Amino acid sequence: MVDVSQHELVPEHILLDDDSEVEEVLEEYNIKKTDLPKIKRTDPALPDEAAPGDVIKIIRDSRTTDKAIVYRLVIQ
Amino acid sequence: MSIQSPKEIGGISFGLMDPETYRDMSATKVITADTYDDDGYPIDMGLMDPRLGVIDPGLECRTCGRHSGSCNGHFGHIELAAPVIHVGFTKLIRRLLRSTCRQCGRLALNDEQKEEFRDRLVRAKELNEDPNDVLKAAVRQARKSSTCPHCGEPQADIKHEKPTTYYEVQNVLSGDYSERIAEAMQPDPDDEDDVGLSPQDLADKAEISLERVNQMLAGEFRPRKDDRRSLEKALGIDLTEEDMNKLMPSDIRDWFEDIPDEDIEVLGINSEKSRPEWIILTVLPVPPVTARPSITLDNGQRSEDDLTHKLVDIIRINQRFMENREAGAPQLIIEDLWELLQYHVTTFIDNEISGTPPARHRSGRPLKTLSQRLKGKEGRFRGSLSGKRVNFSARTVISPDPTLSLNEVGVPDRVATEMTITINVTERNIEEAQQYVSNGPENHPGSNYVKRPDGRRLKVTEKNCEELATKVEAGWEVNRHLVDGDIVIFNRQPSLHRMSIMAHEVVVMPYKTFRLNTVVCPPYNADFDGDEMNLHALQTEEARAEARVLMRVQEQILSPRFGENIIGAIQDHISGTYLLTHENPQFSETQALDLLRATRVDALPDPDGEDEMGSPYWTGQTIFSLLLPGDLNLEFTSSTGDTVIVENGQLLEGTIDEDAVGAFGGEIVDTLVKQYSERRARIFVNEIASLAMRAIMHFGFSIGIDDESIPPEADEQVDEAIRNAYERIGGLIQTYENGELESLPGRTVDETLEMKIMQTLGKARDSAGEIAEDHFTEDNPAVVMARSGARGSMLNLTQMAGCVGQQAVRGERINRGYEDRTLAHYKPHDLSAEAHGFVENSYRGGLTPREFFFHAMGGREGLVDTAVRTSKSGYLQRRLINALSELEAQYDGTVRDTSDTIVQFEYGEDGTSPVRVSSSEDFDIDVDSIVDRVVEAEFESAAEKSAFLDRQEPPTNLSEYGEPRGYEEVESDD
Repeated sequence: MVDVSQHELVPEHILLDDDSEVEEVLEEYNIKKTDLPKIKRTDPALPDEAAPGDVIKIIRDSRTTDKAIVYRLVIQ
Repeated sequence: MSIQSPKEIGGISFGLMDPETYRDMSATKVITADTYDDDGYPIDMGLMDPRLGVIDPGLECRTCGRHSGSCNGHFGHIELAAPVIHVGFTKLIRRLLRSTCRQCGRLALNDEQKEEFRDRLVRAKELNEDPNDVLKAAVRQARKSSTCPHCGEPQADIKHEKPTTYYEVQNVLSGDYSERIAEAMQPDPDDEDDVGLSPQDLADKAEISLERVNQMLAGEFRPRKDDRRSLEKALGIDLTEEDMNKLMPSDIRDWFEDIPDEDIEVLGINSEKSRPEWIILTVLPVPPVTARPSITLDNGQRSEDDLTHKLVDIIRINQRFMENREAGAPQLIIEDLWELLQYHVTTFIDNEISGTPPARHRSGRPLKTLSQRLKGKEGRFRGSLSGKRVNFSARTVISPDPTLSLNEVGVPDRVATEMTITINVTERNIEEAQQYVSNGPENHPGSNYVKRPDGRRLKVTEKNCEELATKVEAGWEVNRHLVDGDIVIFNRQPSLHRMSIMAHEVVVMPYKTFRLNTVVCPPYNADFDGDEMNLHALQTEEARAEARVLMRVQEQILSPRFGENIIGAIQDHISGTYLLTHENPQFSETQALDLLRATRVDALPDPDGEDEMGSPYWTGQTIFSLLLPGDLNLEFTSSTGDTVIVENGQLLEGTIDEDAVGAFGGEIVDTLVKQYSERRARIFVNEIASLAMRAIMHFGFSIGIDDESIPPEADEQVDEAIRNAYERIGGLIQTYENGELESLPGRTVDETLEMKIMQTLGKARDSAGEIAEDHFTEDNPAVVMARSGARGSMLNLTQMAGCVGQQAVRGERINRGYEDRTLAHYKPHDLSAEAHGFVENSYRGGLTPREFFFHAMGGREGLVDTAVRTSKSGYLQRRLINALSELEAQYDGTVRDTSDTIVQFEYGEDGTSPVRVSSSEDFDIDVDSIVDRVVEAEFESAAEKSAFLDRQEPPTNLSEYGEPRGYEEVESDD
């Protein structure tokens, strides 16, 4: 099986396993967890230990800002 | 009293309405299926009962006492003789019937399952998912149990026959059970060992007494369910048949009444607001007459609204139903009438149900009932609420006017006297306002209406204008004509991007068309072959200010689509600047001043030299440089191919063409907007257009058929090149027919041949083009246009002079037509170039009839493609806009939808606007030039520094009329 998470086009997906980190993100944007963009648990780019309800931090390469950071909520 | 203060809507909730509420809010019960009596008065308790509201002016509403216009109308009601199904809820009815118990009405799920689905529903709502998926899953789960988990009643399957009939399907004992049993007891004729079953054997096997078995075989005793099961098991047969039991609406209503509140919550129904039995109509609301006004025709006859016609039908059938039932008519007739009533109520609500013939008008036109009023492009939502016709708008043909600024629009005087702008009279503008009023409605800067503080509107006429002008005071409103300098919104459809709607300043002009500067054609995608455009006069001060700051043409020079300018020189402007700067021609003083007469430049710099006669001359590049800011530095490659160098506002070398000043990314225009201001760029574009027009008129520019002709020896060379290609193709075909052609990787031999032929012919056309190109001079107008990027390409030119080349349909040579050949002029399986649409002639030389036919085939494909593309992309655009319309960039930089769900954490990942980013490819953001400029400012003297720090924002959004004459400040920059 190919592990897509190692592919150069797949950005880094980091599980925020510390609740305070998640809290910080929600605080920063003044949102509820469910207002985050979603990602399916079955998504092959996710780390194996991600479970529904977790928040994932994705670091993308950006042409204009070098790094673009986004967060997603794991569902199902 | 009649004017209510506006209120803010806190929220809207949707639900079902209790029939009792209908009756309570009803102004009257409607029992007569008629509208007006013979004297023309509305019939009491008829469909036009005056209690339902008034439409005729002068009459008083019997419910609220108000007159037509202020009375919104009131609902009435019809008591239905029997309950009927509401077509809008057929799916929900089916879902409820399938998931609840036919006996006790409870949801066929146990408490844990209910809890699970309730939780999933809450979660789906939180995650913005479709709750329907959860509800469907719940129904599917409930349907699985064959008996009710609460009362144990076996459940029947529900069959839904569209649109409004429901059946319970049960398995019951078949009518021919005895025959089936007897047949199963017979020995199998194919199996010799099988001796069959005696009644005694059967009785033993099924554990039924022999006496009963015999009775059953004789058809005298119908086996009960237990007996039937054991018989079926013993014989291995099915003794049942399906029995369909029709559920009447009254049955369904009784069923739904038993469903407990807590169970419907699991099915997604809010029990506080709705009860499922309310889906079944027992009383029908009658819309107020204001919703279905009747029209009086010229001959005095009344023509009723479609809804009224439908209501007449409903009341008639309702009446007949009741009469028949009271008379004790047979069940069959009652059922027929019931079905008819159902049909009429169904079509009253929706007349486009599949499987139901639409109710028709006497003329055969299908009636437009409730659903049809709301649905579709012309429906209430898309046609009347999202988009509607507006006041203060004008539409006419457009034509060009190069003397206007690109910010301006020429408005015909007859439009200007009809369209008005509302001004609030204060003590400061009272004299101005009085002047407008006293000019009357027909003299141009006049006014059409005034509004007194008490809200009364008075029409200004030729007769009363003088008198009215004296009465105008502070607090009045005056609707005055459009005058020069007013800001208006100008639009050309299709409005595909934001530059399709821009704000312009009015210039009132004679004649009938809107006039616009040709440099704004690209953003509107406008030309003057009959295009029409719309103009909207803004009515509030806020709107005018906003339009001036955000929407004025000069603020839209940069397109967010590609971050470069979309407004700039086009067509003849580009030819003009090319002629002016290419090979740097010389001009005498009169010529130079004539070129610059439409610009703000009124003094020439020192001459560039003296000609042999001793009179001074100025070069084209010097004249062009006069329009540039004094400190502009730029270096780029022009589309002509030379390097353009601008130093300290002087064009040192290079040709000014499309890449310098053109729309769609002209370097100089782009730089001016980004490094100087929108205002400076606007001045530059205006002046470049005027200068270019003067320049092209100075040189003279025309094109004729002789400009595309080449000498006979060149024609000979072209023919030679084509002959060579034909020979090579002949060779290819020969090798192919000998079976010696080697196929390219991944292609068949046939495909390889096609590709090679196409390649050879492409080369032939190119070499013909090169030959033709060699014989054109540099000053050939077509070459000038192609080189400078003004219009046309070298390919167009070679097609005109050399050879038109291969015609293609779907990217291949032409292969269609007759069997194995394209035209009857060729032999079957002819693979040659001319048999498959190669046009060896030039447009100028003329095509042969066969070539012409192939050329038309290729041309047709182009036309079809554009037609298909526009309709497809229009629909895609609509869907995209609908999907994205609620997204908004927030103050914290995130992009969110209306429910605050985050779509992007930073707008476009970098939080920058495409029009604020440098378009230079070497640097993503042009840091160097910014640092240069900042440092340079830093190194100046202290006085310069304070001037820098105290610098005021350039007045970008002042009207051109408000600017100081002569553009002194722009000069002071230089």
